[in-house]
Amino acid sequence: MSALYKEIRTLAAGRDWRGRSRTPRSAAPHEQPVEPKEFPTGWARTAGARVARRGLQRGLLRPLTWTTTRPEVQGKDHLDALTGPVVFVANHSSHLDTPLILGSLPDRLAKRVAVGAAADYFFDARWRAAVTALIFNAFPVERYRSRRLQSLAPRLLARGWSLLLFPEGTRSEDGWMSPLRLGAARLCVGQRVPAVPVALRGTFGAMPRGRNWPVPGRPRVVVRYGAPLLPAAEESARDFNTRLAASVARLWAEEDVGWYASLRAQARGELALPTGPAAASWRRIWESSRPVAQRRPDRVWRD
Amino acid sequence: MSRPGFVLEVDERTPALLVHEGEGFGLRKLPLGSRVVYPPESLPGLRDVDAQIHRAVHHPLGRPPLPELLFAGMKLTIVFDDLSIPLPPMRTPDIRSRIIEQVLELAAAAGVDDVELIAANSLHRRMTPAELRRTVGERVYRSFFPHHLRNHDAEDRANLLEVGTTPHGEVVEINRRAAESDLIVYVNVTLTAMSGGAKSVSVGLGSYRSLKHHHNVHTLRHSRSFNDPPNSAMHHSYDRMAGVLDAHVKIFQIETTVNNDTFPSQLGFLNKREWEWSLRDQAAYLAVKRANELAPAGRRRQLWQRTVAPYGVTSVTAGAPAEVHEVTMRHVLRQQLTEVDGPADVGIFGLPYICPYNVNSIMNPILVMSLGLGYFFNLYRGQPIVRPGGVAIYYHPVRNEFHPVHHPSYIDFFEEVLAETTDPVAIEAKYEEQFATDPWYVHLYRNSYAYHGVHPLYMWYWGAHALEHLGEVIFVGGDRRTTARMGFRSASTLDDALEMAGDRVGRSPSITYLHAPPLTMADVR
Repeated sequence: MSALYKEIRTLAAGRDWRGRSRTPRSAAPHEQPVEPKEFPTGWARTAGARVARRGLQRGLLRPLTWTTTRPEVQGKDHLDALTGPVVFVANHSSHLDTPLILGSLPDRLAKRVAVGAAADYFFDARWRAAVTALIFNAFPVERYRSRRLQSLAPRLLARGWSLLLFPEGTRSEDGWMSPLRLGAARLCVGQRVPAVPVALRGTFGAMPRGRNWPVPGRPRVVVRYGAPLLPAAEESARDFNTRLAASVARLWAEEDVGWYASLRAQARGELALPTGPAAASWRRIWESSRPVAQRRPDRVWRD
Repeated sequence: MSRPGFVLEVDERTPALLVHEGEGFGLRKLPLGSRVVYPPESLPGLRDVDAQIHRAVHHPLGRPPLPELLFAGMKLTIVFDDLSIPLPPMRTPDIRSRIIEQVLELAAAAGVDDVELIAANSLHRRMTPAELRRTVGERVYRSFFPHHLRNHDAEDRANLLEVGTTPHGEVVEINRRAAESDLIVYVNVTLTAMSGGAKSVSVGLGSYRSLKHHHNVHTLRHSRSFNDPPNSAMHHSYDRMAGVLDAHVKIFQIETTVNNDTFPSQLGFLNKREWEWSLRDQAAYLAVKRANELAPAGRRRQLWQRTVAPYGVTSVTAGAPAEVHEVTMRHVLRQQLTEVDGPADVGIFGLPYICPYNVNSIMNPILVMSLGLGYFFNLYRGQPIVRPGGVAIYYHPVRNEFHPVHHPSYIDFFEEVLAETTDPVAIEAKYEEQFATDPWYVHLYRNSYAYHGVHPLYMWYWGAHALEHLGEVIFVGGDRRTTARMGFRSASTLDDALEMAGDRVGRSPSITYLHAPPLTMADVR
């Protein structure tokens, strides 16, 4: 019996429970890397899926977000005049960002929003892709140009869907912003659709990277919408992107210095993208994770 | 589409690899970095073999179509390879029987009455009636045996004819009936690159007088390798003899090649690459290995000897021997050749249970030597897979057992000659004549089923090139006394063998393992 046992051990060495061995490197055939197929998301925009999504968002996602955090929504009046498709452009530092924006949008807009989600993160496993597509109406966005996905965004805009994009490309590592990539601006210029800047504050402190549930104590988070920006005729995507970044920066600063002061600062050219202090990484995180103070009444005049 | 052969480099992902060791096999872990030469995967066999035979004999190379060569009143001799190829024997119907049947159909249509069938067994043992029947098929056997279907007798002086002498003074003496025929149809299976072509008639129907010109130590030491005819002194000699034969007899050669389906489906794992073994293959491995180990020795041998190969036929070509053989060689190399980058310090070979001379018999120590140092070592083109002075490690139990009927002279050779010397040159000078002419051996060769008296010496010469080239020969699992008698060493494990080889090749030698069977020939650059 021991001989058989020894034989089985020799045979099983290096094989998995299904008895499969890895192919030795020198025996592995050369293969052209296969482009992963794009996950189909069209089904998530059918009537049935829309109804299900509304139910999930209103019945589950929004109550969950609104009970675990204390969202404060500013500038919704800018959305009143919006009719057609727009591109919401927001800073991104937490998984809370999308539920907050979707939950705070007026119903007529929220039900026609598709969210750009990283193809390599949300669409790498089928189950995750399906869940993301259903709950957020997400569509895959290629961030690193590793694959040549033909972007769905222009087609969605053409069909009347508004988009929510995070042009930083990824959630912030330390709560501060990084430069906006050109994709969103190029889309607005190309499709002649307005962009609505959105600034989110406090989401990094509430649920940073690595957490999958907000911190206890219902931290305050702020969603601030800015005035829609329409690309001017002949305006380049790069110029429009600069304008967009400036708007987001102003909305960000508005939380700290107030509306009028932020306008003044912008007019003086003092506002830059909030990329954080040039300091050690812990100090950057320390600053950005500082709880967002309870909002005071706006002051027009400084002390 | 069959995948080509390749050289595996053993890495941490590589599972234990299959090694044949006589009537057994096992999985062995080779040192990291060892190279393993795998043959190309089995090529697809011809879908309609009979149609291809028909095509070949009606559209031959360098000869008129066979029907044009056949006429009433002619003397027709059909000669076929004996049971030494293919290995293991082919599943019936044997390709030879299918060809012979078609040739006989044509002969019957042409009204040829004088037809003889001769097994080209040269100095090999006679084939038994059952073996003949298996090879030529029931219908042919019934029509011709025993008077017109027989074995070649290389000691029947009355039935040998000296056809001529080559410019090098080599006597060409073959079977008289064949030599005096109007046409010889030679039906061949070319299993390795050494067989077929000019060798078929000159060796298969030759006598000792003729064979000693190429089956000698000098020629074999200058055949590098004997599986690479352009660089083989032995084949140069065959070619010269074929030149003499061409002037006297008309040969219509029908050559065939087979693919690498060496083992039947229940032993399918032996044909596969180890990392591709399915659970079923692994279960079959365990079951077959265990049953094989538990079986009594006699029964085990019987089971192995009953194994037949489901070979697919990859080519059938007919016509003038030289032109046909060129095509045949291409098919053989396509199936067996694998390119290897340079020789290694140590070559590892797993020797199977069968060689050309122990079909339905016992693999004795001399045959193990001839299979290992002769056939397997010479499965190369360019240079051996082991560097000069390197070490060859063979897996085989090398038991001291002989078949008393088939190999009587082997017993005496092992007991008397090898006890005195293992040097091929000394053996040739002192003993060859004696073994070749011993009346008792001649009697057994002619009337019993014994290999010719000189055959064990030829087997020893077969390894002469390897003996000269190698620094050391080690048999893993080999019987200590038997291997010592032959001048080799034995080790119980590969680690021990590498340790023993350390004196010659250092502590971390480069290693190449020739993963055969299925047959693979290394094209060492």
